[in-house]
Amino acid sequence: MATRERTTTGGRTGRGGEKRSDSLKHTVVTAVLAALRALGRLVGGFGTALPALALLGWLVLTAVTSVVGVGLLMTPAALRALHALAGRERGRLARHGFEIVAPDPPPTKLRLAVADATTRREAAWVAVHATFGLLLGLLGVLLPIAAVRDTVFPLVWPLAPPDATSTSVGIGVAHSWAEAASVSLLGLGWTAVVVGLGPGMARLQARPAVRLLAAGPDTDLSLRIAELTATRAAALDAHATELRRIERSLHDGTQNRIVTVTVLLGAARRMVARDPAAAGELLERAQTAAEEALAELRTVARGILPPVLDDRGLAGALSGLAAQCAVPCRTDVDLPQRCAASVEATAYFVVAEALTNIAKHSGAAHTTVTARARGDRLWLRVEDDGRGGADEAGGSGLTGVRRRVAAHDGSLRLSSPHGGPTVLEVDLPCGS
Amino acid sequence: MRIVIAEDDPLLREGLALLLRAESLDVVATAGTAEEVLEAIDTHRPDVAVLDVRMPPTHTDEGIRAAIEARRRRPGLAVLVLSAYVEQTFATELLTGGVGGLGYLLKERVGRVEEFLDALHRVADGGTAIDPEVVAQLFTRSRQDTRLERLSPRERDVLALMAEGLGNSAIAERLVVTDGAVHKHIRSIFAKLDLAPTQQVDRRVAAVLHYLEDARGR
Repeated sequence: MATRERTTTGGRTGRGGEKRSDSLKHTVVTAVLAALRALGRLVGGFGTALPALALLGWLVLTAVTSVVGVGLLMTPAALRALHALAGRERGRLARHGFEIVAPDPPPTKLRLAVADATTRREAAWVAVHATFGLLLGLLGVLLPIAAVRDTVFPLVWPLAPPDATSTSVGIGVAHSWAEAASVSLLGLGWTAVVVGLGPGMARLQARPAVRLLAAGPDTDLSLRIAELTATRAAALDAHATELRRIERSLHDGTQNRIVTVTVLLGAARRMVARDPAAAGELLERAQTAAEEALAELRTVARGILPPVLDDRGLAGALSGLAAQCAVPCRTDVDLPQRCAASVEATAYFVVAEALTNIAKHSGAAHTTVTARARGDRLWLRVEDDGRGGADEAGGSGLTGVRRRVAAHDGSLRLSSPHGGPTVLEVDLPCGS
Repeated sequence: MRIVIAEDDPLLREGLALLLRAESLDVVATAGTAEEVLEAIDTHRPDVAVLDVRMPPTHTDEGIRAAIEARRRRPGLAVLVLSAYVEQTFATELLTGGVGGLGYLLKERVGRVEEFLDALHRVADGGTAIDPEVVAQLFTRSRQDTRLERLSPRERDVLALMAEGLGNSAIAERLVVTDGAVHKHIRSIFAKLDLAPTQQVDRRVAAVLHYLEDARGR
């Protein structure tokens, strides 16, 4: 709770400080924001360290009982849990900007799996993370609580029972205002520790995972290469499709309109001496065709890169989409900085496609679009309270969205059980 | 002159029909797809078919396919193909089967009504109408042809106009020279391209074909 409260305050100070562009304040704000991010990472690490501890116990138990044979039955499940947790930690750290190249999936055969280098490295990580990582995570949880508690202690001191311990560390009892105020200094000390050491602690906590969960130097990177090749091909494919779409709408749409204009003008010129009234009618039609050509051109240009992105940024563009949506749509967008234009365009199309689908198929009464910057990644979520059952194979345009997202090395998750709700989540690297 | 038109864009199709009818030409049928136009050709037996290259379903070369098929079914049918852009392979594919009664023009040429009608009549009379743009591309692509290098700039100009399908006096008019001068240039072109007067084929056609096939071979 304390952490969360401070997050909000820190955020507000941050924006105010940047506006005044006071350099000292800017430094302080940057440091505080970095500390808050570090705390978030430490707490997240705590979240995986607890299961790691349980898993460590299980692994040890399995190993010990394997000697008498019983443990062998537990081994496959224990190994699956190990790989699952390791995978989760890779995903979590990737969101915080650590690029961890995942190794090949370990073999499924028991004997091979136990002897596999990846398995051993993951087990080593569990041991370190369940102890050392857990400790750091615990500090990440307790330090901010202690900081807030001690800082505000003078305010609650008059209400506290007379013999209650005053400090977070469990020693000392304040008997006077001065003593209570000094507890507050201790709180500021904790804050300084958090700001000064927080980022380092977070890095320290992540280090074993970065070392041990990545593909070892002896494993080849063929899997990652295959993945990169596939996404690169998807990118080229998506671009080719996009270019073909543009070429087609120019040649078969706009150009035909303009040819029609010239044909009608040509006919009018021949007609003008013979039958001025008919010529006037042809000119009228030529003008209509020219206007249609302009409208087509606008549509094509907007399809390439929506100008609204340039004018109002992604946040403005998304609220524009929400305003146009037939289903009432709430937007919750917090993007402090711009992403690469192609990424923003993709985000825009993802949301546009999702809202179109919702309006067409979902029967929803409300929908929410959320966009957040997470480290150097852009995270989008579109949720509706409709009937669910959205199917990618059903030609809903989601396949195109997925390809476009994959082309940016992003990921897309769709959850749409029958009866709803439908949730679409997209995660894109900002690439700026 | 009986004409059928195939163009998938309804507005442009109407525009074309309107233009031709205003010139008191007989537009007997219009179509939006290759299939429809082949049917219309069978039913109405027109003198000329005006075909758009890109039509449904794939919007690639349906018009070319339809032209080849129509001429297979009705040898001697004059076909004028209209294209949104110059595509060499289309031109060569279309014209290597024989250039008589064939035309390949950029769509926008239709707006220059006199020239368009001229091309249409030429094609209907068994002549050729090749877009200047196509010819210009052929010359760029054929630059490495050693035989072509033997031609003087003036002879190239003459060959370009020949490839467009113009007759001698029309060429003379365009280049502002006498008919006799054009004759002289053409004889020189035939000689430099090794087109002997004993050849069975029309040497004019052979000269043009030479470039088209040459471009296709690259």
